[in-house]
Amino acid sequence: MSTARAPFAPWDRRELPGIFGVEETARRIGNYRWTEMRLFEALGGWVATIPELDVKMVLGRHCYHHAWHAELWTKRLPELREMNVERMTQPANDEMVAFVKALTEPEAPELTIEKLVGVYRVLIPRTIAAYTYHLNGTSAITDSPTQRSLSHALQDEFEGWRDGEMLLQSLIDAPDKVERAIRRQGELEALITAAGGITGPGSIGSQPAPEEATV
Amino acid sequence: MKRHLPESELARDERFRRNKIEDQIFDPRNIAMSTRDLGPAQMAVDRPAISERSRSLMHGIFVGEIQALEGAGRTCYDFDDADAPFALKLDMARQCWDESRHVEISCKLAEHMGSDIGEYGESTFLYAAACNPDPVMRLCGVNRALEGLAIDVFSSMKAFGESTQDPILTYCEDWMLADEVTHVKMGSDWLRRLTDTDPDRRERALEFQRTVDKVFSLGGFRGESEENPIQITRRFRELAGFSTEECDELAEIAAQAMEDARTMVAAAAAAS
Repeated sequence: MSTARAPFAPWDRRELPGIFGVEETARRIGNYRWTEMRLFEALGGWVATIPELDVKMVLGRHCYHHAWHAELWTKRLPELREMNVERMTQPANDEMVAFVKALTEPEAPELTIEKLVGVYRVLIPRTIAAYTYHLNGTSAITDSPTQRSLSHALQDEFEGWRDGEMLLQSLIDAPDKVERAIRRQGELEALITAAGGITGPGSIGSQPAPEEATV
Repeated sequence: MKRHLPESELARDERFRRNKIEDQIFDPRNIAMSTRDLGPAQMAVDRPAISERSRSLMHGIFVGEIQALEGAGRTCYDFDDADAPFALKLDMARQCWDESRHVEISCKLAEHMGSDIGEYGESTFLYAAACNPDPVMRLCGVNRALEGLAIDVFSSMKAFGESTQDPILTYCEDWMLADEVTHVKMGSDWLRRLTDTDPDRRERALEFQRTVDKVFSLGGFRGESEENPIQITRRFRELAGFSTEECDELAEIAAQAMEDARTMVAAAAAAS
């Protein structure tokens, strides 16, 4: 009886194939990079416009986290046959451009809630969703490098989302501020819904029609 | 959000009070101060009013770190990729994180030393140097001149912490010093890269740095004699990409700034 070990351990459940090819992966990563860049630039720009010292310092920290994510994608893109990083760094569509324009619009020092709602209640949750869909859908064998970067980025995104949400909960302390936060979230949700998410329609896949669904 | 935010629009809470640099320079009390013989000006435990001086300096470091954070953040936002490549912005984002930690550290150190936010005024001329529309000028003004000053300040404060046997101060200043050497090196590296084929631009940037260096020598605040509270730290500057000639030039600028201040005070005294 052979004593040779099986190539995959019993607990190793990685499978082939994933749901994304090389080109689709590069397209998504180009969208991620564009979004992370716009986000870290905005966070950096906002630091000087925010009077609350604790918020100022958190944004300074998060600015680097998102810049580092953009760097992860900068390094991954050339490994996906797309040697021109700049060409692949694109918004998903015009609606995504409109969303980011609206997201980065607030400037006045009294608009901290509006700034934070856009980032931590709209964009970051959408980013977590898109990254999670990608992480779960790609092959852990063929696309392990992307999975690893997604995992690192997601860890930051979760922690950043929690930091931002806690800041918001501490700032939203009166009914008028609740209204402001809701209104702002509604405006931006409409825009990113029109975009379909940070990689456009299909950012988190699409639900099958009822007749196609199988048990 | 617009690009290029002027210093007048920096956002602060109600504890902060802003000072004008000209008010500090032309403060009539400076004349009386200049006539008093207080002995060596270096930060030392036997210096008159050293407790007050060190708290004031720590508050200055605190607000300076806030402005350094804001300046680095604005460099991430104010420029197109064509003017400031992604790698430069990545470095500036990293600096944002570092400066955020420095704000946290200096805030806690100020409390440790018995001070509080807003106990002293804030001059925003550090941020003003970060408003230059040319990213190379910004890097020279902020990363090489101001972060270079931070090397000198943190070295002096670390030595002060050692002389007063304050392990908290010594520990924190040492960590911040390590970051500042990195920031100055970033500035030196980017100056070389961005002006590699444009010697005129490099010279303009270095001239801007000299101007900022002179302003921040603050009439004798920094130098290499015992009359200067803050000492130029050649060893760390050289680690950060400064040549010996550049350190010599800085020492000359600082000496000239002190001489200029003496002349101004004498003129003011004669006029009064």
